[in-house]
Amino acid sequence: MSTLAIRATTHRKLIGAAFAVPALALFGLFAIYPMVRVFYISLFDYDLTSSPRWVGFNNYEFLWHSEQFHQSLEATGFYLLFTYVPAVLLALLLAIGLDTKLPGSGFIRLLYFAPVAMSWVAISVIWRLLFQPDGLLNRVLGTHTTWLTSTKSAEWALVIASVWKETGLFLILFLAGLSKIPRDLREAASLDGAGPLRSFRYVTLPLLKPMTAVVCVMAVIRGCQSFSPQVVLTGGSFNTEVVNLYVYKTAFENARMGRASAVAVLLFFALLMVTMLQLRLFRSDDR
Amino acid sequence: MKKPVVKRLSATLAVCVVGLAMAACSSGSKSGGGKVHLTFWTHTHPPMIALNKQLITEYEKANPNVTIDYQQIPNTDFNTKMLTSLSNGSGPDVINMDDVAIRGDYIPKNLLAPMDSAAQATAEGRYLPHTLDGATSADGKLYGLPTEFNATAFAINKAAFTKAGLDPAKPPKAWDDVAADGQKLIAAGQGGFNFLYLSAGQYTQQLQILLNETGGRIVSDDGKKATIAEPAGVQALELWNTLINKDKLGDPHSSTRDATDPFADFEAGKTSMTIMYPWGVGQIKQDNPATFKNMEVVPLPQVDPSKPSGRWYGYYMAVNKASKHQSEAWKFINYVTSQNQRWLTDVNFIQPVKDWASSPAAAKVPFLPVWQQAYQQGRFDEVAPHWAEVQDAIKTAIESTVLDGKSADSTLNQASDTINQSLAE
Repeated sequence: MSTLAIRATTHRKLIGAAFAVPALALFGLFAIYPMVRVFYISLFDYDLTSSPRWVGFNNYEFLWHSEQFHQSLEATGFYLLFTYVPAVLLALLLAIGLDTKLPGSGFIRLLYFAPVAMSWVAISVIWRLLFQPDGLLNRVLGTHTTWLTSTKSAEWALVIASVWKETGLFLILFLAGLSKIPRDLREAASLDGAGPLRSFRYVTLPLLKPMTAVVCVMAVIRGCQSFSPQVVLTGGSFNTEVVNLYVYKTAFENARMGRASAVAVLLFFALLMVTMLQLRLFRSDDR
Repeated sequence: MKKPVVKRLSATLAVCVVGLAMAACSSGSKSGGGKVHLTFWTHTHPPMIALNKQLITEYEKANPNVTIDYQQIPNTDFNTKMLTSLSNGSGPDVINMDDVAIRGDYIPKNLLAPMDSAAQATAEGRYLPHTLDGATSADGKLYGLPTEFNATAFAINKAAFTKAGLDPAKPPKAWDDVAADGQKLIAAGQGGFNFLYLSAGQYTQQLQILLNETGGRIVSDDGKKATIAEPAGVQALELWNTLINKDKLGDPHSSTRDATDPFADFEAGKTSMTIMYPWGVGQIKQDNPATFKNMEVVPLPQVDPSKPSGRWYGYYMAVNKASKHQSEAWKFINYVTSQNQRWLTDVNFIQPVKDWASSPAAAKVPFLPVWQQAYQQGRFDEVAPHWAEVQDAIKTAIESTVLDGKSADSTLNQASDTINQSLAE
């Protein structure tokens, strides 16, 4: 390559980099800097209106012993497990059922996706009405359950509303994954004598693995970051104060920004580790 | 071909930088040429908002150089939004908020501007003794003037009492009477009594009413130790629990969760007895004239009627310490609080000036003698550092006992641990 050509290439690269600078600057300013800043603030006692006071790792030590924080972890774990495992499995089953060219299947898909398009707050308000002691749910079931005002049922009320809302999202993702699988492969398996279950187990499921990985990662992140349904439906009462709600209350109601930042840092690293573990698990199976 | 691209890029960046600079300049300028722009925040209460708007219009007309931007924040978001805005310097010049927030948060955090000593002396001469304590610091500095001053009473539905064979002229004097009358009301198909299950603040306020009567306290006098789990505290929560779960006077699971309409159950007939404040009478009169017609306000029931007690709370107008227009802000506050007659007639807000009860407007205040009596036996709520966390702990204890069926002793011990953890820091 001539010197002139090298210079031209270098120049083009510099122009390209210059165009990327604003985006990188914005990313740095609005994504990287806040993350670094949150970690920094987690080392201070800061009430929003006074100067921050250095406390080192005291906020982390407090969380280690805090019963309220431990309860928020339990509430998050319960919500994640009982909402997202059923939602993902249900979405997979529905996707297989709806992966056809039958008339009306598009409309049915739209119906399942509708809750995804609605805001969490709007959906929570609807479910709040349904969960009233004299609400539709109790009338249909013939029960007198105090869904939102007792520990034994509030957690389950959140699970019911959330499974209804979240299934549609995973359904669409699974349908997208299924559409990428060539029908020939399933037809070939069928010709070779594989029944629907064997075809699903040995053809569909392995080829759906990349999308399953995406769904699982999204499910864990969404479960751990849940906030709106807890705020609207229970306000965090009755063992439903999930970690994100604990962060919000600690930061903005109790004005303890340092402690809230410490929780945010822990949540960030926990999610990072779980996500990496999930991706590793899905990748190792490929070998 | 390449140079124009670089030039265009540079020009675009330059335009962006200049644009940002201009935007920054325009948003930063609030006043100029003798003009003063004040911002004023209150909570939401429709009759109060209407009068505030009228007073602002009058003040702006009398002071053409002043414009006032008036914003209302829902009660449940008020403290959060206020603290956040004060932290980034965008808070209002004039703040209207309750005494617990002023004494518990804003004065200790040095967020408010005190009145000067001459103005404080004038105010102290104008208002009834101790009624300014809700906005006074430990060292005696005054930080606000009251727009409303509330004592606690009780309301009964006379029509429901009559239907149940009870005499409305003989209202319940003790909580035991409330239980007995409530059971008769329910047996006759009428509503009984219930507490409110709304914010942590409201849970705590209602428990404080009962604590005042049982002699209990949430924290010790020096504010360093939780005392809520002591026998008087347990007695207060057990009284609440007994009225609701043993005497079954009301269903806490289906009571109103609408913080903007706390008397919805009373207005709808789901309850025939409720704890009442002066502003509540005004709200019911405006929202539901039929209920108002059947309503009688009577003294607050007591654990021991021979030793009556009550709860005071007030809302005060104060000035943000970071305000650049403190002098104008105080002038506006003086104008608003000088209209105490209109606050009485239009909103049913009692401002505790010395002659309030003998004024022509007071003569039209419904149930005046009851309020006068209530003002004789009240006291302000407790506050301590990190009060929001204390209130959260109290709310959890009440919910666990009243809605979840756990013993008052165990839930208050748990609340006590949480409160001690907060106070220890």
